[in-house]
Amino acid sequence: MRTDEELMLLFREGSRESFEELFTRHHRAVVRFAWRMTGDPSAAEEAAQEIFLRIARAAPTYHPTAKFTTWMYTVARRTTLNYLRDTKEDGEKVPIHPEGEGEDGVYPVQLPGPDDRNPEQVVWEAQLTERFRTALGELPEGHRAAFVLNRGDGLSYEEVAQVLGVTVQAVKTRIFRAREMLLSRLSKDLSG
Amino acid sequence: MDCRDIREAISVCVDGEASPGEAAAVREHLAFCERCRVLERQMRAVGAGVRQVRGPVPDRFREEVFARLESEGVLPKRKKVVSTAWRWAAVPLAAAAGLGLFLLTSREGIREPVLSEPATARVGTSAPDAPSPQGNGSALSTEDREMLAMLDLLEDPAAFDAGGDAEGMDLLVPGGSADPPIPPQGGRSGG
Repeated sequence: MRTDEELMLLFREGSRESFEELFTRHHRAVVRFAWRMTGDPSAAEEAAQEIFLRIARAAPTYHPTAKFTTWMYTVARRTTLNYLRDTKEDGEKVPIHPEGEGEDGVYPVQLPGPDDRNPEQVVWEAQLTERFRTALGELPEGHRAAFVLNRGDGLSYEEVAQVLGVTVQAVKTRIFRAREMLLSRLSKDLSG
Repeated sequence: MDCRDIREAISVCVDGEASPGEAAAVREHLAFCERCRVLERQMRAVGAGVRQVRGPVPDRFREEVFARLESEGVLPKRKKVVSTAWRWAAVPLAAAAGLGLFLLTSREGIREPVLSEPATARVGTSAPDAPSPQGNGSALSTEDREMLAMLDLLEDPAAFDAGGDAEGMDLLVPGGSADPPIPPQGGRSGG
């Protein structure tokens, strides 16, 4: 099976089938990323279309100096960022709610976790998922992108740093801050 | 290390990105700090939450993307089936055209039957304006002359047999050597 990078180079030479294969492999991830970044299904669909247009337009200048997915998410992030700027995003939006944080940084929020030893194996109720989506959309774009790319799309800190054009340490801090903000917001929602 | 200092390291550990030193420090802290153990579980849960934010990809999404790509000219259009059929049909057509071209341009060309003329005159029929092989012998190459001689033999079987019986003839082989004559009957069967 051809790698993503090989397919992109073949597409650059005029192979439509190679682009179709790339689309098949990655369109769901692109739509999901756009959905998590914009928080709106129709906006996500529109942004995802634009992402694939940009990928195709950039093919003549594509050089496989990095993983294709890293490059793809760089295009995706810039596209969604432009989309958000064009609509409503205005940078740092969500302060951490001081009242939401409990003593020693423990948040008064009961996140789903019937099995406390494995809190990721949980069933999220629709209401909590909707609150989470809202809280995610209120994160600063840079924090949201770092958190979504790492936790949602499985990129390593190093890959996230490449996509965002920041240091690995900055990625650590952004993801940690994103977690704190989300826990703070969810604590406020659920306790109020 | 107190709780406030360890929290970012807990987040890094949850993501599996901690160095061995960081991971050891976190483990050591969590061993005696119940509050940070709770925080660690919350961090894991909120990380899982992002994967809950997802929606279905509309069925029309693919068609719309490819329609836009084609309309902008950044994606080659899909080849139609009929063009593939024509491509296959072109193979025998090209072969036939090639054969015709070969026949037209071949040195002998298409022979026209000239029943009343001597065999040697046939060679010249492919080029009516060319000088007759007999009328202008200097125009013939050595190869042409050998070919004419062969045609004379074919036209006159008697000349072919004039050299004697076949058993006495050497078979023409490269290098001028000849295999021994094959015995008339069962000559090699005894071995």
